[in-house]
Amino acid sequence: MEQPDPMIHFENVTKEYELQTALRDVTCSIEKGEMVFLTGPSGSGKTTMLKLIYLAELPDQGDITIAGWNTGTLKESSIPFVRRNIGVVFQDFRLLDNRNIYENISLALRIRGIGEREIKARVYEALKTVNLRHKADSYPRRLSGGEQQRIVIARAIVAEPTVLLADEPTGNLDPETAEDVLKTFKDIHAKGTTILIATHNRELYMNSGKRVLRLEAGSLVSREVC
Amino acid sequence: MPTSYAFRLAMQSLKKDKWINLLSMLTIFAGLFIISISFFVFYNIEIATRNLPEKFSLVVYLDNNLGQEKIEQVISAVRAKRAVSSVKFIAREEAFRELKSTLKNSQYVLEGLEDNPLPDSLEVKLKRDAMGSESVKQLAEETKRIKGVSEVDYGEKFLDILQNIKAGVKITGLVLALILCTGIVFVCYSTVKILFYRRTDEIETFKLLGATKGFIRAPFIIEGAAIGTTAGFTSLAAVFVLHHFLFLKLINSVPLFKTVLFPSHVFLLLPLIGMFLGIFGAAIALGRLKY
Repeated sequence: MEQPDPMIHFENVTKEYELQTALRDVTCSIEKGEMVFLTGPSGSGKTTMLKLIYLAELPDQGDITIAGWNTGTLKESSIPFVRRNIGVVFQDFRLLDNRNIYENISLALRIRGIGEREIKARVYEALKTVNLRHKADSYPRRLSGGEQQRIVIARAIVAEPTVLLADEPTGNLDPETAEDVLKTFKDIHAKGTTILIATHNRELYMNSGKRVLRLEAGSLVSREVC
Repeated sequence: MPTSYAFRLAMQSLKKDKWINLLSMLTIFAGLFIISISFFVFYNIEIATRNLPEKFSLVVYLDNNLGQEKIEQVISAVRAKRAVSSVKFIAREEAFRELKSTLKNSQYVLEGLEDNPLPDSLEVKLKRDAMGSESVKQLAEETKRIKGVSEVDYGEKFLDILQNIKAGVKITGLVLALILCTGIVFVCYSTVKILFYRRTDEIETFKLLGATKGFIRAPFIIEGAAIGTTAGFTSLAAVFVLHHFLFLKLINSVPLFKTVLFPSHVFLLLPLIGMFLGIFGAAIALGRLKY
């Protein structure tokens, strides 16, 4: 029987910045519905790998395929439509300070041209998932780091993407909040979403039973189940 | 993208960056206002010069002692010309009577004249579209060749001056309008560029969430249109205020201004012109920005 195509596939991918090689000849796959951790020390290339997936960067060498789209042959006008399949929890949150939480989350749906009634239902559903329904009218700066983190998760999942990427989602959180965030990810994964979490927090992936890809100086050095 | 959301974003931005937008609006208003006033002046010059040809005519002098039949033939030949609107025969006696009445206060000029020295003549009026100095010259030459015609006289210099005034007014008006419209487009272009750079982070987030270029551009286009339209309405109001409080008073008190016309049907287009220039400036800015 033929194997289904992986959701994300890197084939000999190299990415270089001016004086530094961020990723070196990386080949790996993430299957549909899989939850994978991406780990490694700071500057090992974790964020670069995520940026290549959500098309903020393009590889210098190699091929990347996301949900069947080859990023090397993609037209510029098609990039927004590929991104709509991907939810991203950014390391720097990227929340808009001049809009309240409801507006921040609904933005992901407005971009997709969804109607106001459906937007309302889906935004409150996403806020319920991260247990912050009561914060809909607040502004990002009024929230704690942990709350902002969960709002970013709500924005990433509200459009029900097929792939969810998270860049250091527990970076500035206390262990208890980090545990809550991880539980949220597990719940989303349980619904069938493919998830890739970049983290250097060992607590997060140890004994998780999930695959862990380890990067060091841009090279993929291990891919084991922890 | 639902248009209502693009409008909402544009209105939020107009409110948030109100000082930049107000400054742009006032600059565009000044440009449109100057264009309107210039147009008003040029329009009236054009109207005044357009009416002058009605008073213009060719005088065709006939040979002495032509019989009635010959005169009729000459009249028919002149009337057959494409550029001729009407032909009036002036008998030498009538012309002499007219001369006498014109020189009523200078009778000494005619003293010593025993006979009527004037010939029979034709007063030829031309069609409005045949008023070019070249076509009048050609007509004069053709008419001169008709048997029975001794001389053709027309205001050659007057016609040249008239043509030069008309051409000058047209070119000056067009150049001025072009310069000011370019200025207005540049103001819109710069404003949208500034607003765009002020929102770079926001736009980057939009892009990463999957926004298309159309989604990002729409609010800026609406903003450009809103600034241009508001400036257009303001200049329309200013022109009408000026007309009401200045020109109407001048028309009533200074006789020279009685013939001045106010082309209000053209001024009503100002908001539309403003909107078009605003959209054009915004579109150029968005086309040149890399994002």
